[in-house]
Amino acid sequence: MSENVSSETPAYNFTIVKWFAICAVVYLAVGALVGDIIAWELAFPSLNLNEYMTFGRLRPLHTNAVIFAFGGSTLMATAYYIVQRTCAVPLWSDKMAWFTFWGWNAVIVGAVVSFPLGWTSGKEYAELEWPFDIAIALVWLAYMGNFVMTLANRKTSHIYVANWFFLGMMVMITYLHVVNSLAIPVTMTKSYSIFSGVHDAMIQWWWGHNAVGFFLTAGFLGIMYYFIPKQANLPIFSYRLSVLHFWALMFGYVWLGAHHLQYTALPDWAGSLGAAVSIAMIIPSWGGAINGLMTLSGAWNKLRDDYVLRFLVVSLAFYAMSTFEGPVMSLKTVNALSHYTDWTIGHVHSGALGWVAMVSIGAIYHLVTRLWKTEIYSVGLVNNHFWIHTIGTVIYVCAMWVSGIMQGLMWRATDDYGNLAYTFAETVSAMHPYYVLRSVGGLLVLLGALIMLYNVVMTIRTAGQPKTAAAQA
Amino acid sequence: MAKQDEPQHAPDTGHEWDGIRELTNPPPRWWMIAFHASWIWCIVYFILYPAIPLVHDSTKGILGWTMITEFKADVAENEALKAPFLKKVAAMDGQQLLADDGMKSFAESSAKALFGDNCAGCHGAGGQGAPGLFPALVDDDWLYGGDIDTIIESITDGRQGDMPAHAGMLTDKEIDGLADFVVAAAEGKATRAQFARFDDAGCSGCHGENAQGGAINELGSGGANLTDSIWRFGNSREDILRTIRYGVNQEDVPNTRVAIMPAFGDKLSPEAIKMLAVKVHELGGGK
Repeated sequence: MSENVSSETPAYNFTIVKWFAICAVVYLAVGALVGDIIAWELAFPSLNLNEYMTFGRLRPLHTNAVIFAFGGSTLMATAYYIVQRTCAVPLWSDKMAWFTFWGWNAVIVGAVVSFPLGWTSGKEYAELEWPFDIAIALVWLAYMGNFVMTLANRKTSHIYVANWFFLGMMVMITYLHVVNSLAIPVTMTKSYSIFSGVHDAMIQWWWGHNAVGFFLTAGFLGIMYYFIPKQANLPIFSYRLSVLHFWALMFGYVWLGAHHLQYTALPDWAGSLGAAVSIAMIIPSWGGAINGLMTLSGAWNKLRDDYVLRFLVVSLAFYAMSTFEGPVMSLKTVNALSHYTDWTIGHVHSGALGWVAMVSIGAIYHLVTRLWKTEIYSVGLVNNHFWIHTIGTVIYVCAMWVSGIMQGLMWRATDDYGNLAYTFAETVSAMHPYYVLRSVGGLLVLLGALIMLYNVVMTIRTAGQPKTAAAQA
Repeated sequence: MAKQDEPQHAPDTGHEWDGIRELTNPPPRWWMIAFHASWIWCIVYFILYPAIPLVHDSTKGILGWTMITEFKADVAENEALKAPFLKKVAAMDGQQLLADDGMKSFAESSAKALFGDNCAGCHGAGGQGAPGLFPALVDDDWLYGGDIDTIIESITDGRQGDMPAHAGMLTDKEIDGLADFVVAAAEGKATRAQFARFDDAGCSGCHGENAQGGAINELGSGGANLTDSIWRFGNSREDILRTIRYGVNQEDVPNTRVAIMPAFGDKLSPEAIKMLAVKVHELGGGK
């Protein structure tokens, strides 16, 4: 209860939040840069200059940089910030927090070295080899332990909803990561999964989809639940809605992985189960989006000049859209067309660029002003970033939709005799213009990330200088 | 309870975290209906489709759907379209296919994707080949013969060029002389003396007395016509020297030319090969 909290601010550890926030901004630019390089490589294969620069080796570097370096740093920054402020106590252990900072960054350096060298476990979104997997588990447990102990020491009577989502993510990612990474090491840089055949595929996608469902959704819903009411200075629309959609997502999401393996050696029942529960996740997902959007009801005028709020609100629109699109793609009939095509890439990026990146960018702009007790260096640049990022995302996603659906239709097209109408190479050359368009969209996202990096650096550099008083939360 | 259009006026839960409160609005009515419809949908889907694992098996679903039956039905539908034509292809030989307009059109339509997925990787999407690496199929210059039956044979059994490495057999001077001959022959300027040297070195055994490949090709040696400069290994003097010195497909000769056309007899059906041969024949150079 608020009356328990003294009016003076406890000695929060914001230094750790600052460093993770800076990392997030840097890693967003790095991840977008590597992503755009490989996008151009797909459009113009001669850009695969040498073995270290090939698409095959840089692609895991891109995915790991955006998911675990950028996404992970954002989650650590925001979780440490939110848990302190909403529990009204400092972090339980500063040492553990710094262990997560150095540990997480060491793993990221490991990824930067090992992927171009071709060390990989071959598991998508879990490519890092076994020594790194152990390091990730240790860092993650320290992150969760510190978070749980801070919650346990809280001065508020209840736990705020944002923290439920963070905790849900931490618990689920721990066992998903540990089980999926079980492997027999052969050398320091090579191991083999203890699972084989279709079991390995199922475990892999049980992890793969839940990396999306928990790491990239639950955690970022936690961010949404704190930063939208805070930025808009409005109460959350519905407590009951947050309870319902929280538990529905927690119980439902873990079943979805099988929908990545429709029409494979996976048994029929597993695919059906995955597809049915995927459809049933649309409404719980929308619950989160609605709760965020309805929080702003009656105050939509705030969007006119609050660019940070714009990032947060548009992220929810993308969230609602991709949580509809994904379940539809999981249905067997649609999956037969969409699977293995660029449509999947378009879907992933509408979630990644539209939802995860935008909610993070909004949260980080908010954080930077509060952490350094200043105003943003240039509101105009935030506005530019918003438009450049949004347009880049829309170009990217639309290019991949068109390319993917065209690709799927060309693969299955037959002539009057029942013969395949197109060769595989014809589908590849038909995709070329969309690959170029996608690379341009990615370039805009990269440009936006660089604008953000500049704006954040300048905000921090000018923070000490006298100007209008910082907006205090 | 507040009215739906004024959700901000609902009472809060009485808790506050860092200035954030939560209101007691109920979820929107349509959302609650859809929420319940979601789990009902799951139950209906579980009844219709195989969905629940049992000890040794799973529930079957009342629609009787399985992916393998769906796959087989789709394939069967497609096969039924092709079956009458394929039956005819099986009964006809290459010459007959070329002579029958309807069947030729079917064969070329079938072979489009077959060519793109099996041949274009080396011979190019339009059969144009790759200079110095893979032979063109669009011209009428053939190493092993361009009639339909020979093309069928080339695809079915593959081809392997065979030319000895002369680096150990002849002196550098002799090899230089032969290279001069090849350059001259391609321009139609080879002298009688040069032809004699070519014959003495034993080259005419495969390349023919007049260096035009010739009858020997029918034995499957692939001896190239040296008088037209339509060569898969390039026409510069250096290219020619390399080919003479290190030969083609010579084991344990590091710089030897590699010319291997894989056999497709194990990979494609005889009907598919026949139809591919029709397409290759009709690319422009069939004889």
